[in-house]
Amino acid sequence: MATVTEHQTYWEKAKDSGFDLGWLNQLKENVVGQEVAEVSDNLTGRVEGSIPRPGVAQFGAYPFRTKKEVWGYNLRKLYEEFVTRQWSSATDIPWETLEELPDDIEAAECQLATFFAQVEFVAADVPGRFISTMSPDYQEVRMALLGQVMDESRHLDVFRKRALANGGGLMRMIDSVTDVVGGSTDNAREYTELSTRMHIVGEGNVLTLFRLGELMAYNEAEKAIYRRCAQDEARHVAIGVLHARYMKECSPERIEEMHSYLDEAENRQSSGAGGENPAARNMLTSEALAVLLGGGKDKADEGQKILMAVRQKQVKEYFQRLKSAGLDDRITNGRVNPSLLEAYNSA
Amino acid sequence: MASTGQGKKRTARPAAKKSARAVRAKKDSGGQPAGDAKPPASTMDWMNDSPEWGMRAQPGKKGMTLDDIAIGSYGEIPDRSEEMTRMPRGAFHVPGVPRLEFYPLSKKVDLWADNAAGLYEEAIQRRWMAHVDVPWGTLEPLPRDLELSMCQLCTELAQQATIETDSIGQWIGRMNYAYYEVKTFLASELYDSARHYDVFRTRALANGGALGMESPGMINRRIIESRAGWTETAVFMYLLRGPFTLMLYRYGEAYALNAAEKRLFRLCIQDKARHLAYGMAHAKYAISEMGDDYAVGMLRMMSGVERDMATEMKDPVLWEALAIIFGGGLENISSGMEVVEELQKRYVNEYMARMQWVGIDKTLDNLAPDLAAYVKQESGAAS
Repeated sequence: MATVTEHQTYWEKAKDSGFDLGWLNQLKENVVGQEVAEVSDNLTGRVEGSIPRPGVAQFGAYPFRTKKEVWGYNLRKLYEEFVTRQWSSATDIPWETLEELPDDIEAAECQLATFFAQVEFVAADVPGRFISTMSPDYQEVRMALLGQVMDESRHLDVFRKRALANGGGLMRMIDSVTDVVGGSTDNAREYTELSTRMHIVGEGNVLTLFRLGELMAYNEAEKAIYRRCAQDEARHVAIGVLHARYMKECSPERIEEMHSYLDEAENRQSSGAGGENPAARNMLTSEALAVLLGGGKDKADEGQKILMAVRQKQVKEYFQRLKSAGLDDRITNGRVNPSLLEAYNSA
Repeated sequence: MASTGQGKKRTARPAAKKSARAVRAKKDSGGQPAGDAKPPASTMDWMNDSPEWGMRAQPGKKGMTLDDIAIGSYGEIPDRSEEMTRMPRGAFHVPGVPRLEFYPLSKKVDLWADNAAGLYEEAIQRRWMAHVDVPWGTLEPLPRDLELSMCQLCTELAQQATIETDSIGQWIGRMNYAYYEVKTFLASELYDSARHYDVFRTRALANGGALGMESPGMINRRIIESRAGWTETAVFMYLLRGPFTLMLYRYGEAYALNAAEKRLFRLCIQDKARHLAYGMAHAKYAISEMGDDYAVGMLRMMSGVERDMATEMKDPVLWEALAIIFGGGLENISSGMEVVEELQKRYVNEYMARMQWVGIDKTLDNLAPDLAAYVKQESGAAS
């Protein structure tokens, strides 16, 4: 290491040679704190904690620039889990365990796979749009959502691969109409709206289904797909729960609004409108599920009974998420959708 | 081949006939769609709705890749898609489903690259973890000026990653699902950009330094504000900015001050090379399809952007930081600046070569004069 005198000499020599070095002095003064700004004035995409320059065009103009609009607890830790638990649909699924299945089972598995290939990337497109509208000062949120984008991409690809790997192929597209009941994921213009709807309800329902993958799987490959997707989906749900908890604590004035998003989402969940819950009544995927759960087309009635239990489990887990998020007063105050409560009570 | 989503063939499965439901829906395309107003009767008719029953994808040496499932009609990439429902390419189309979204990028020429599927799989195979795969324990205290110079470089690179996130985030949702290979590849690039932000910010703060000054922002602005098309944005991001970022990674690796930096730059090089491979393949494809006028338009478009690049390159902050790193300390900043000049010259040459490769006739004669000066400068000249 140079002595102070030597350093001074180097500095002066560099200045004499025409180097500016003013930036170096500024860096020496820059202290990066741990606090996350309540309001972000970062409109230039600069890294949180870096030194702003005067005169840079405000091209960022991020619509989401207050912490209370986007923040969630422990997202840094969650991001590291995203990173640690990435997997490959090409090599981590034992594709060689696929064997020829009865036509009805293969068709049902492929119909379900077609559903997931169609809907999973929605949870990449929409968060992708939101990420680019959030101030980089809330990078932990952005990074968790970027982890989700990657996961959803893999879900699209693994279910497409499953559909094409065993003779069935892609089946019928989802023909449910999104806007029969308002409040779809795609329509969200506000992050809390998106997160409440997508993470807590939509992804939550899919998570329950993935967790029950053992019941729908007919070989090790399918078991591995559902198991791994369940791990991923649990993280996505966690983003929403961690955000809701933060909102409950820091933005109590928005709790009623969050409940209204849940009203809409529960309506969609119970009616099957919008085509987001593959287990919902009236969905063609519910027939496919009945075939898989029952063990064949001729046992679909038995499968429907198991599917009822699946729906009950979806509700049970949803209520648990509400508790975890601090929004469970709706379960006891009469606000929760009656058909969900009925399903819960009959469980 | 244009895709309207209609009239899928479905003959491979024995005894498979078009379902009564589908036929009914086709006849009644203006009527109430099934599935919402009232529950459809259980018919199991969807079981007949595979357009390619009996076709099996086989895993290859690298497992079951996207290329392995590009079989039969599933592997046919439409020149354009009018499907605005997110229907997976090759699924059985149901008439009368309303649009869910308007996808402005619904033509193959707007976004396609043949290598996207392979690059997506590569991105997954080569995934790495900033907190685990970089030997952070090898960081040792550095002279203050050297440490802060590395911090400045890392701040710049973290910001470049942020801009990449913001730009792709704006575009990915506008891309039609018929081109899911590109969407999934770009999802992997978004994820890479998060990792790059993470690793560079972590390095800046891991060894007693601080974050540096933000970027001058001119090229960031160009990338974010680009709205003429994805291809135009791709030219900014993958031909102008991308090679610059890649060059910084390469020199970062070559002049790394410890094993942690060596490793993180090396890993980032892999990622960035993949991004550029997509971007260049897309730009080349788009230009070859669109023709000479389009290439000339690109050439003219870049003349203004190059001037911004040249202005940004006059800012001393990044160069001085690099000169200190390359020289090994403030005492050798002048010799370090010689390496910087070599980097600048190589970057501009590489930019021109990449432009030529994709079909844009970029030469020293039509390059912004201030950029051309970097190529013409003699080694050892003052910055």
